[in-house]
Amino acid sequence: MVEQKIQVPKYWRRIPQYYRLEATMCIKCGRVYYPPKRVCKCGSREFKLINLSSNGKLVNYTILHQVPIDYEKQRPIIIGLIDLNGVKILAQLTDILEPEKLRVGLEVEKTIRVVKHDGIYGVITYGYKFRTKIVE
Amino acid sequence: MSRVYIQSYSLITGGRYYDKSISDIFAEVFLRAWDNAGNPEIDMIYIASAFSELVSEQLILPSYLCEYVNLEDTPCVRIEMGDGSSGHAILEAYKAVKSGECSTVMIIGVEKVHDVVSYRLSKFLGMMCNSDYEYFFGITPAALAALIMREYMIKYEYSYEDLAEWIVKMHERGSNNPYAYMRKKAKIKDVVSSEVISDPLRLYDMAPLIDGAAAIVVSNRPNKTDGVIEINCVVSSSCNESFNEKEDLTLLKSTIRARERLSKKVEFKDIGVLEVHDTYSILGILAVESLGFIKRGETPRLMKKESPDSELKVAINPSGGLKCMGNPVGASGMYQTVCAVMELLNVQPFTNIKSEYALIQDMAGIDRSTVLTLLKRVS
Repeated sequence: MVEQKIQVPKYWRRIPQYYRLEATMCIKCGRVYYPPKRVCKCGSREFKLINLSSNGKLVNYTILHQVPIDYEKQRPIIIGLIDLNGVKILAQLTDILEPEKLRVGLEVEKTIRVVKHDGIYGVITYGYKFRTKIVE
Repeated sequence: MSRVYIQSYSLITGGRYYDKSISDIFAEVFLRAWDNAGNPEIDMIYIASAFSELVSEQLILPSYLCEYVNLEDTPCVRIEMGDGSSGHAILEAYKAVKSGECSTVMIIGVEKVHDVVSYRLSKFLGMMCNSDYEYFFGITPAALAALIMREYMIKYEYSYEDLAEWIVKMHERGSNNPYAYMRKKAKIKDVVSSEVISDPLRLYDMAPLIDGAAAIVVSNRPNKTDGVIEINCVVSSSCNESFNEKEDLTLLKSTIRARERLSKKVEFKDIGVLEVHDTYSILGILAVESLGFIKRGETPRLMKKESPDSELKVAINPSGGLKCMGNPVGASGMYQTVCAVMELLNVQPFTNIKSEYALIQDMAGIDRSTVLTLLKRVS
């Protein structure tokens, strides 16, 4: 029996977020939440689903060398705090050939990539990552 | 309402105790604290532990620990709030004694992190981040601390060398502390040449993970007339918002909110000793600033001075902090508390501390929840 590292339902039910950056927008005050929430700061419980912008700017970043075991093959991973038209999210940056050239303010765009593998026999999970447009 | 006194304390020096189980290190501190308190009847035992099911493969942990020391019918419960477990256990114990529900209780922080290899440990630490939106993408507390550090450096125009002053000061203090895990001094060049964990955060910025256990016995009556320490007040506050939602990474909202609650009950100028939860050096810096002891952005500048404590009139982490005591995760707040007790009692090497009050700041995760425990020496 192979140890299952990825819980399929836990991943599957987050696909709207992992693929489309699905967020919740308060119908009453317009505030957008990512991760999605059930109650707005204004008290309203009425939301509509929206997809966040696929383009944004890098606000902050770190190059993580001491990664959890599931990410060992991708080490180091670059974590960015990204502003998508006023909504900030944390995400991995990918396709960065020269990490030393990263800087705050870089324009980045969403792409879909493998996030991790569940060993040899398990599912492969995909999700959003961001790449910078200035690194070819 | 009852007053709440600390009758005894104990801790083991942090380490890698491959030859001991979680029950063994629990028993060691339990028996020492219980004996030193005069073996009182214990109404309740609070166990603070973050990783017991992950590392020791044990649920219902308190029951099995109590079985080991033959406390067959003593009520016991585990408090899990990640690396803030101990502070929350103290809060619950304080409320139990203060309300009169219990007369004497014991609080024990225990963690056995080195029963698993380090790569599994870093996975468990990652679980303190949001499982779906942070940890799924490989984001760990170290990565979040690194983002905070970068923002702090940009905002206040510091270099990494400037921030390293905090670490040098902690090592200086830890080198004099026989209870510390790290007892060697460090120079700036040691810090800046250490391994990069998550740029700009380096190995020296992290409190080393340790196996550890520490305990206090708390009661509504003191068991001696001299050297009596009271838990004067315990307050908690949270910041239940996503890391990416934060408008300013350079302050700890949960700590600021807890400070505001505490400041309604005590004059901060009376506090002469402070132990902050420096699991990462930047969090120690932000804790001191969020508590209002140092103006925001000024800590690295102050740490460059020979003796910043005398200028501030508060001793910050005289133990060397978790940086030197080590980080036993769920038991970390209990290590801070036992250190603060020893500091107020002027136990060697803390003989030069002259303060009536000591404040302990324990925090769960990266600013998820803060517990402030105020100790007072009443005789």
